[in-house]
Amino acid sequence: MVFACGAALLLGVVDFAVSRIVDGSTDNLIEAEVQGLREQVLVLSRSDFIELIEQRSQDQDVRGAVYLMVDPQLRPVAGNVPAWPKIGSSDDKWIQFKVSVPFGDETREHEMRAQRFKLPGGYRMLVGHDVQERQDVKNLMMRGLIAAVVLTLLLGLGGGFWMGRRILAQAGAISAVATQIMRGDLSQRLPVRNADDEINTLVREINSMLDKIEQLTLGMRTVLDSAAHDLRTPLNRLQATAEGAMSGLAPGSAERKVIERVSTEVDHMRSTLDALLRIALAETGTVAREPVNLSELVASMVELYAPVSEERGIRLESTVAAGAEVQGSRQLLAQALANLLDNAIKFTPDGGRIRVLLRAPGGAPEVVVEDDGPGIPADKRELVLGRRVRLDEARKVPGSGLGLSLVAAVTKLHGARLILDDAGPGLRVSLKF
Amino acid sequence: MHILIVEDDEVARDYLAKALREVGHSVDVAGDGIKGLHMASSIAIDLAIVDRMLPKLDGLALVQSLRATGRKLPVLILSALGEVDDRITGLRAGGDDYLTKPYHMSELMARIDALARRGDSGNAENTAKLKLADLELDRMTRRVTRNGKKIELTAREFQLLEFMMRHSGQVVTRTMLLEGVWDYHFDPQTNVIDVHISRLRQAIDKDFDKPLLHTVRGAGYSLREDE
Repeated sequence: MVFACGAALLLGVVDFAVSRIVDGSTDNLIEAEVQGLREQVLVLSRSDFIELIEQRSQDQDVRGAVYLMVDPQLRPVAGNVPAWPKIGSSDDKWIQFKVSVPFGDETREHEMRAQRFKLPGGYRMLVGHDVQERQDVKNLMMRGLIAAVVLTLLLGLGGGFWMGRRILAQAGAISAVATQIMRGDLSQRLPVRNADDEINTLVREINSMLDKIEQLTLGMRTVLDSAAHDLRTPLNRLQATAEGAMSGLAPGSAERKVIERVSTEVDHMRSTLDALLRIALAETGTVAREPVNLSELVASMVELYAPVSEERGIRLESTVAAGAEVQGSRQLLAQALANLLDNAIKFTPDGGRIRVLLRAPGGAPEVVVEDDGPGIPADKRELVLGRRVRLDEARKVPGSGLGLSLVAAVTKLHGARLILDDAGPGLRVSLKF
Repeated sequence: MHILIVEDDEVARDYLAKALREVGHSVDVAGDGIKGLHMASSIAIDLAIVDRMLPKLDGLALVQSLRATGRKLPVLILSALGEVDDRITGLRAGGDDYLTKPYHMSELMARIDALARRGDSGNAENTAKLKLADLELDRMTRRVTRNGKKIELTAREFQLLEFMMRHSGQVVTRTMLLEGVWDYHFDPQTNVIDVHISRLRQAIDKDFDKPLLHTVRGAGYSLREDE
């Protein structure tokens, strides 16, 4: 829009300037001719003057010059203009008028510009020039200019459009890679082209930021590994020492019972440490990804837990849609599902029911585990996803309390949503991929 | 068996060596990766237990070097690391099994026995028919009989029995079962494996004289003839 206005203004200015220059030079020509004739008329006799005019009128070498000499009654005496143009007041020096000029078999209207002046004896003289050509040139130039402007506009629009599309495509590529990165694949980088434009500069900056993030995450992984090592090594020694001591003690003896207790507690510590480490790994996203057959996973987990459910008098029902697949870690997903099923079994009373569903509406899988136990009150739902919370105050039921926390971390890692709901009665846990 | 332990933690190493000797294995030890690699390449050993974090030469690098020389020695990797993908990395480097610390000695024992057997009879994988006492399992036809009588098993029970039969006479831990039959590496809080085993036991032992599927207290299960 702005460009269009600017273009129009430019055209206007050019038109004006060109007109002034061209007009100026024509006028000078006419003026010079007028001066010349004014001098001649003082020197020559009338008939000689008339002859001069005729000569000039017929002169083929001078194109476009027009002359007209008229008597006091405005009747043409000499010249190449058919009639005295009756326009303007007689005091106007300069006039413009049209004359029909033969052009091949046709006639054309030509624009003339002329000066009029008085001759002795009431005669009048008109000297001018054919400015049609000038007009034609001006028109041609204007057309040329307009064409140029239109072309520029089109190129501009086209170029803008094309650039816009390229930028959109680039933005699309960047967005796709960003999604991958958010999903935890820190090795990805945004595509860089060879050009030196702003987008590429931005992309390079983002890539070096990603380098730093990857470094930090790997650093975190190293810290986790160090922490793991520093905790597992003494635990291992404890376990080895306890087991070594037990082998020398009589079964059932008081001493052996004490050592067995130690061994059991080491087991608990190991279990808690494993869970914490898995949560930390899931949260830092430093886990390899692969295509996971979710249908197979859910079906086999249900099959794994079926006998123990039956043993507790709990009905385990399942509906598993086929062909559901996600990108991620099979082991972490299995652990998450196991935690959900463990919880469901723990909290569902005998004679109760657990439902496991896998739906994949439109290719977005959803896993639901539902029980009819006590459920989780709405105001506590956020809380249970934290590290240690367990609602069971009596602490009769064993477990480290990290179960749902891991489910939350694994869900996030896979770019899915975790939703806790009231199953009326009971808890419904949904994982929406 | 003659076993090599490559472990830099002295306390753990000593207990491990002692426990292995107590059950009849002969043991050599190395405290760093270079010494371990040297010993593994020069001494006639049947199995190596290699800790992942070693001074001088990292455990995985040791195993890789060993494999590069074409040595088919069974290797159990011990690790104190973060887990999840570490197991896969360890197995890819050439390890045959992977155990995270802390572990129960019974777990380690069961696994090295399984590794030793795997090394011995390369053909075991290919035998179509498995047999223990009067129990027969045909992999091709998926038919199981005991004393000639056909036993109906679910697909999973069949897999479970097949696994136990391949490890007959040995102790099989719950973790080994979860890994070998379900391909899962996690800690179930409920005794899911126990109930699967008791179902299998119902199917193959209930109507017969001699029980074959035994519980080994503090370790796992064993499929064998005698008690």
